[in-house]
Order: sequence, then C-alpha cells, then structure tokens
Amino acid sequence: MNTKSMLFPRLCAAAGLSAFAAVAAAADPAPAKSTDQVEQQIDALSQQLQALKAELQQLKSQNEALAAQQSAAPAQTAAATSAKSSPFDNLSLWGYGEVYYDRPIHDVARTQADLARAVFGIGYRFDDRTHFNSEFEVEHAVSSADDPGEFEVEQFYVDHQLTNWASIEAGLFLMPFGLLNEHHEPTNFYGVQRNFVETLIIPSTWREGGFALHGNTDLGISYSAGLTTGIDLGKWDFAPEYPAYTTALELEDSDVAPLQATHQELALSNAEHLAQYVSLSYNGLPGFTAGGAIFTGNAAPVPAPPNAPLSGHNRVTLGEVHTRWTPGAFDLSALYARGTISNTAGVNLQNPGSPNPIPSKFYGYYLQGAYTVWQNATYRVSPFVRWERYDMGANYAGTSPEIPSGDVPLSGAPGDYGKYPQSHDIVWTYGANFYVTPHVVIKADYQTFDVNRDFTRLDLGLGLYF
Amino acid sequence: MPRAGSAAIGKRVGAVGLVLTSLLAGCGSGSGSSSGASTPASLSPAAALGKTMFDDQALSASGKQSCGTCHVKSFAYAADPATDQGLPVPLGGTAFNLVGLRNAPSLMYASFTPSFDADNIIGGFFRDGRASSLAVQAEQPFITEFEMANKDAAEVVQRLQTRPYLQDFIALFGAAVLSDPQTALQDIAKAIAAYETEDATFHPFSSKFDYWQQGQAQLSAQEANGLALFNNPGKGNCTACHPSQRQSYSEHPLFTDFSYDNIGIPRNWKIPANTPNPVSPIDGTPLDYVTLPANVPADSEYAYYDLGLCGVLAPPADDPHPRPVFTSVTSLCGQFKVPTLRNIALTAPYFHNGIFGSLREVVQWYVTRDINSNVGNNPLPQPNPYSPAYLGADSFYVAADGSPDALQYNDLPLDFDANVNIAEVPYTPPTFQGGQAPTLSAAEIDDVVAFLCTLTDGYDPTNPAAYVLPAQCAAVTHATTSIATMP
Repeated sequence: MNTKSMLFPRLCAAAGLSAFAAVAAAADPAPAKSTDQVEQQIDALSQQLQALKAELQQLKSQNEALAAQQSAAPAQTAAATSAKSSPFDNLSLWGYGEVYYDRPIHDVARTQADLARAVFGIGYRFDDRTHFNSEFEVEHAVSSADDPGEFEVEQFYVDHQLTNWASIEAGLFLMPFGLLNEHHEPTNFYGVQRNFVETLIIPSTWREGGFALHGNTDLGISYSAGLTTGIDLGKWDFAPEYPAYTTALELEDSDVAPLQATHQELALSNAEHLAQYVSLSYNGLPGFTAGGAIFTGNAAPVPAPPNAPLSGHNRVTLGEVHTRWTPGAFDLSALYARGTISNTAGVNLQNPGSPNPIPSKFYGYYLQGAYTVWQNATYRVSPFVRWERYDMGANYAGTSPEIPSGDVPLSGAPGDYGKYPQSHDIVWTYGANFYVTPHVVIKADYQTFDVNRDFTRLDLGLGLYF
Repeated sequence: MPRAGSAAIGKRVGAVGLVLTSLLAGCGSGSGSSSGASTPASLSPAAALGKTMFDDQALSASGKQSCGTCHVKSFAYAADPATDQGLPVPLGGTAFNLVGLRNAPSLMYASFTPSFDADNIIGGFFRDGRASSLAVQAEQPFITEFEMANKDAAEVVQRLQTRPYLQDFIALFGAAVLSDPQTALQDIAKAIAAYETEDATFHPFSSKFDYWQQGQAQLSAQEANGLALFNNPGKGNCTACHPSQRQSYSEHPLFTDFSYDNIGIPRNWKIPANTPNPVSPIDGTPLDYVTLPANVPADSEYAYYDLGLCGVLAPPADDPHPRPVFTSVTSLCGQFKVPTLRNIALTAPYFHNGIFGSLREVVQWYVTRDINSNVGNNPLPQPNPYSPAYLGADSFYVAADGSPDALQYNDLPLDFDANVNIAEVPYTPPTFQGGQAPTLSAAEIDDVVAFLCTLTDGYDPTNPAAYVLPAQCAAVTHATTSIATMP
C-alpha cells in the first residue's frame, strides 16, 4: 500500500493528479505517436488539469463553507448527524497479492509455484487530519510451525496532519527509500519478482518503528525525516552450513542480504540504538520524479564474549538516489543504492573460515525501460527490460568469505550437490506486464545471470491490488 | 565436525597427565583469569554437600566408586583410562568386576545442557538424553548394577546414614526424608547437580580460545588456520554441530548444539558387551545385564548393538519429565548426542564407544570415512566406485578378529545403515568433489587438532608458558608463529 497516497485517496482518484494517473493518461492511446500528436495530447491534458484544478478549488470552498456551517450549527444538528453516521463510514479496506511460477531452467527440479503474499489493509480516518493505516500479510499461503509461511504486520501507524505541508506519523511504517519500497504492490513494478537491488540492498518491504515528519510543498518537493528502530547485527549468521540460497527465488526469500538479515521489523526490536533517516523527492513535473534518501544509525552489535573489550559501535548507513520518467508510452527508471557497516573487522576475525562474514560495503544499481505497446479499454501491455548489478559483499574488513569450491552439499539431502553461489551478480530481465485492469496484472519475464548462471529462470505471475 | 558429529567425543582421559587440577582451580576464581564463569566463587550448602558426596566412594556397594571415580577432575571430569585396565568403559559393580556399556563422558559444561526437546530431538542428559536434568542423571549411577551398584534407593540411604556429613544432609533436606529413600536419593542427586552447576571448575571458560576471544591471547598461525578449517563449511564443517559461535545456552560458545546424530562409527571390540559372549574381563563373570535389543533385526551381523536414542536404556522411572521411549522409532537408531568439544584433548578415548584414542584419528576418520573404508553397504548414489566392499588393511571397520569387516558402519545393524549421516561435509561420498579427495589434507587435520587443543581450560594469559597440553597436542604442532590478537 502506498502509505502517502492514503492521505488523499479520494482526491487522487477524483482529480487524477498522481504521477501514475498522469502517466496512464499520457500513455493513453496507441503507441508510436507523432510529436504533434503527443503535443496535442499534452495540451489536452493541460486543459483537463486546469479544469480539475478549478473543480478542486470549488470543492475546497464548499468544504470550508460546510465546515463553518457545522461549527456554528445547533446541537440538534450534531445529534442528527450522529444518528446517521457509522464507524464504518471512516473505515477503508484494501489489499494486494501475488501468485507466481518460478522455473530455473538449468535446475528445473527446483521449480516452484507460490502464493507469495496475500495482504489486507485496514485504515481508519478519525478526522480530516488524523488517520490510521495497517497492513497484514500472509506469505507463502500457509503460516504454521510446520509450514514455510509467515504472518506479518507490515504497517501499523497513525498519521496526523499538522499543516498543509507537514504531517507526523508514528508506529510501524514503510521507509521512504527507492522506487519500490512504498509502492511494492504487484501492479506498481515490472517483472514477476521485485528487482534485486530493491530487495537485497534496500530490504524491501522495509519498515521500521518510530516516528517521522513528512509532507509536500507547492514546489513539488516531498520530504520525510524520522527517528526509527535500527539494525541488529546480533541476528547475523556467520556459520551457515549450507548456502542460504540455491536459486534466484531462494535468494530473494532467504533474508541473507546485509540489511534483510538484520532489520528488525519491530518484532521485539533491540532499540538501544535508534537510527535516523531523511528522504527528499521532487515530483514537480508531470511524469517525472527524482529523489534520494539516507539512513544511518548505530546497530545492536554481535554479542561479544563476557569480558571482551568493547570494540566500538557498528554504524550502518544506507543511501540511495532514484529517478523515474514516463514520457508518453515510455516508463524509464534508474536507481543506485549503497550501504556500509563500520567496524566489522573484529567480529569477522572472530569467525575465520566463515562463508558469510559481515560486509563493510554493499551496493547495487539498475536501469529499467518499459514501453506500452498496446492499450485498449482497461487492457494494457508493457514490455520492459531491466539491467541491474548488485554486490552484497563489495568489501569486507578483517577477513574475506571462505566460499567452498567445487560441488558442495546444498542441503541435508544426500546427493544434493552443486556450486556455492556468489553474492554478486549482473542480471538482465526481459518481460512484460499485461494489465487486465489497472488493478490486475499478469506478468512474464526471463532473467539471466552473469555470475550465478544456474539461476537463469522463467517467471510467470499474477498480481492484484485494490 | 558435522551433524552427526562427534556425538561421542566426550570421554575419558586423554593422554597425558596434566596438572589440570591446579590449573582449573586457578581459573574461575582468580588471578587474571576472569573468564566469565557464571558461578559464584563459594558454593551453596547444597553444592558443598554435593561436592563431598561426589567424591564419597562409601556410597557405592563396592566401597571403591564415586562419581569422581569415572569423572576425574584432572581429565576434565571424564574417566582416567589408567583406572580401567585399558578398557574404553569404566569398571564398577559390587565386586568392582563389572564393566559399563559406554565411555564415560566429561561432565564439564554439562550444566548448560537443555532438557530433552522431543520435537526437535535436542538436549537431555546421558549420551542418549534419557534423563531430563543433571539431578536425574546423577541418581542413576548409584543404583546401576555395573556402576555404584546399590540395589535400590534404600540401600543408598543406608550408606548415607553412616556418613559423617549426615547431619549436613538432614539440615538441608530434613530428617523425615530418610524414611523416604526415593526422595532422599533425589536429594542426594540434587546436591551433586548443584555442585556440578555451581562449582566453577566444571565450567571455567578459561581456555586459550576464550582468552583469544577476549583479546588477551594469541592463536598461533596453525591454531588460527585450524579454527578457520573448523568453521569452513567446505572443509571441516565442524561448527555445523559444534558451533564455535555462542548460542542461546550460554554467553560463551559451547561447541555443541546438543543435537543428535548417527555417524556410523566403527564397532569397538574392547567393550565386553560387544563380544559374542559378554563376560567380565576381570573374573569371567557373565554380564547378564547386557540386554540384547529387541529392535535389532534378526539377520544382523551381531547380536548386541548400542543403538543410542532407540536403545534399551530406558528413561528413569521417577523422572518428572521423562524422555519418550524411542525403541520403535528405528530412524533414530544409532543417534547419540553431540558432545561439547571443550577440553576434548583431555578426554580420550573418543565417541560413545571409545573407539579412537586420539583426536587426530578422529578427524582422519571423519574425512576419510567413505573413502578408505569398505563401503559395500554405503547407501550412496550409484555408481559407487568403492563397491564392492573395500577390504584394505587400513579399514577403520574391523571384525572381532581384527580383519576388515565385511560391512561398513559395523556398530549398527545393516538395516539401520540408512540412518547414517552421509550428506554433510566432511564426509566425502563418491559424488562429492570428484569423490576422491578428503576435505582436509594431513597438514590441515593437524591444524584442526591444534585448534581443538586450544579449547583446553586452564590458560593463564599472564603466563602462557604454563599452559600444559596433552601430548597429542604437541604431536600435531607444526609451527609456533603467532597471529595478531583480536582487535
């Protein structure tokens, strides 16, 4: 769920002012238009925008007048109103989910199908300036002690608007990092699976507990700054006996990446050290957005033996910049993210021979281009290509990973041998999103990996969002 | 070592007479060895009484045996092999002419053992987890026919009433308990368990490894390489079952995850129970207490097997949290609890049946089990280049006459061979890395053993030269180069 869009859902729906709506409108008819056609269309959109602005102003005026009347109204009016109102009037429900089929073409025995996530959101508007949002997620269909699934609270926060340009939120909320973390519904990204950079480097879906100040300005700049729970390096596993992943799908689900492995999701989080973040985004031009964010804070350390000397703090920092441009039928985006963890030499040296020491640096970036080739009524087809590079362990202090060579056991099953995977790769993804409606999408893609070549796979997916 | 891990390592003595007593005494309490031991410097009254009873041979039928007879302080509270006439199992019984069934494990760090978890098959006391607590475990030797050999709890209490510390016992547990022998025996065991829990000599955390972790000692290059090999999942992979990282049981690494495994160790013909007609090696008395397991298939090579978790040794009747009986769960047959590797250099011979006399043999066996041994019954994917059975003279698996046995894993009935762990490093089945090369070279085996020697308690960072290790440690030492102290 796009948390920020929940602030003004009706307004967005009515006025079509969101970037996505603008893109959809711009991408409207057929592909391959002439420059004149595009200009005409922009003119038309501009006129529509002006008209909507006028309507909006009118609505605002009406609302203000109504508010004034209500404040001056006699008690009987309030009584009559309460008689007619219901708590459900202020309740909102939404949801999203995705199902996929994942076939590693060099290792078809590991083909999987999964109801990856089913998410349901509940919101409540206390008044015009105060609301509550929450999301509850079931991953992998069945959550029990004997099944692989999980049940998670993905968001749970209260937002209160202070002024037209500033609101404050508190609770468990999504971190405003990258293009995907706050917009992770399957209709909002290309490809069956989320891109690797915004999975392994930015640990989407990344949420923390805390509070934040955020808002939008008339200049098209949105901002957010918060104080949140941070990273717990005590969760690090220095001694995985088997590779944490043997396929691309397992890589995404394994929680082995530096921040995936150590973020806390407000589950009895170690809160001795809090982290801070700031994010800025510019949305002042239709169809264009650019932004960046930085997160930093001291992590809870790997527990040291009693009487061990203090080794200093481990500061974890993650920064990213991103942009997205949707001229006409095109949808172009790029993102770079880089993280560091300081002062890891000591703890790495305590674990020589580990295939998984703590990295001091990790990064990733991608370029992505999509193009709407066909659109009719609610249908839309958008092929895309994405090139991305990630490295979960670009640098290590004190030691280096001891990656077993040759064939090694990949699990406890006799005879299950293969190569130990590398923690970096360059990935090409070719595919298409077919929107049945803007809220239901069927996806297909093919991914190749330059380093972990056995990860090459075919993916099919179904996603929905309401 | 791997999952099945040295389930058995814990035992007796090692090799060399050490001055460990004084070293251990110096650790936990004093000088410069603030090792983080979690016990108080002074014992509670119960623990102090337990200490007395731990070493009181007058509580045994023979008058010659106490807890401390088989759990000798200077051998990391495992057995002193010199006291058992070269047997891998302890002597005992009313006439001190009977022999045990298993190698006596070290009691050091035993107090960190969790109760048996039947869902995950973890924890419990004894090598088969059949006692739920240290106290329940401590009761059993008093009334075991081939150990302290009292007929029952009442006989134990009779002996207790002759002891000079009787009044201390009454002061702690009341006079009335003497008329309830079962409860009195439980109280004796509680006191002994309190001693094993409180006394820092059972868990001083004063090894060279501990001080290295604290930045107060240096590992030699060989020892450091040994630790890296120990941790490396493609080399030793020892940490898979003997974690060198701390877990939830202690603030220190315990080098066991308390899991169970079946690693197919060779049969030890020095254990009288393993012979066709078990008799006392002392006076030829038939060992009537050797019970042939009912779950051994009729066509098995031998009549008696020690099957660990699914074996014939039943959980104690008065255990308040009895372990399930697994005699019908044949998939667990042959599994034994993974022991700690702390002080392992002091506790030879190794494994539950004491089959190996040195750590080097143990590691050598781990990395060549499925290479140099006859693997005719090894349930591995075909084709198996080692089939038919390897019958070389260097086979670890031998018959009673010392010739290579026709079957590998010969301490298990053939039907249970499929239970043997063959999937983890460092086992090297034919499909692994070409199937031929052990995961550790001869020099690397030495390095791993050199590292294991650093787990011996009693290191004094202010006087490293005084750190006395068993001879088997000196035998593997290649170099003395030191590496940097931990930051």
